[in-house]
Amino acid sequence: MKKIVIDIDETGAVRIETEGFVGKSCIEETKFLKDLLGKETAQQLTPAYFATARGCVKKHLPLCG
Amino acid sequence: MSHIAKIEIEIKDLSALKAACVRLGLEFVCDQRTYAWFGQHIGDYPIPEGFTVDDMGKCDHAIRVPGAAYEIGVIKRDRQWLLVWDFWRSGGLERVLGKSAGKLKQAYAASKAVMEARRKGYLVKEQVTKNGGIRITLSGGRA
Repeated sequence: MKKIVIDIDETGAVRIETEGFVGKSCIEETKFLKDLLGKETAQQLTPAYFATARGCVKKHLPLCG
Repeated sequence: MSHIAKIEIEIKDLSALKAACVRLGLEFVCDQRTYAWFGQHIGDYPIPEGFTVDDMGKCDHAIRVPGAAYEIGVIKRDRQWLLVWDFWRSGGLERVLGKSAGKLKQAYAASKAVMEARRKGYLVKEQVTKNGGIRITLSGGRA
């Protein structure tokens, strides 16, 4: 299930984590929160970000031989 | 899991700040043009950036904190609202709201996120975590 989890600590620092999204849709889904709450200071992309709706994007590198 | 972002709070919505005051039992006083503080800048700490000595104690609105002698000034600058206060401990603000009024910023962020998420049709679940944090989980809606 798709979820957006917002953690706010006692200093007012906000951490937003998305779960269950595939590809860039997580960035689009959370943009409204980032715009409303302040400015983004850090972003960490997780493996699901690089997946597409059909599956992972695979890069083929030339090997020797 | 898809991505993790960290946000530094900017206060842009006065109605969410008022809701944050209600959460914490504070009194938001509209159009109160001064806030209680030591009353004289004695040079022990630098003046906040963009302010002069004459600006000290002046505000657009104020927040009264039960149990504290001093108040918080709310000042409009460009497109956001700044919170200014005298954190001297005898004023009592830091004891109630934490360092740099962190608990007020936390309540503002929670209020704003919940208001906007509900407006967008998300199911909203709010919990207080063991370490005093607030966790808001959005599901349904567009998520």
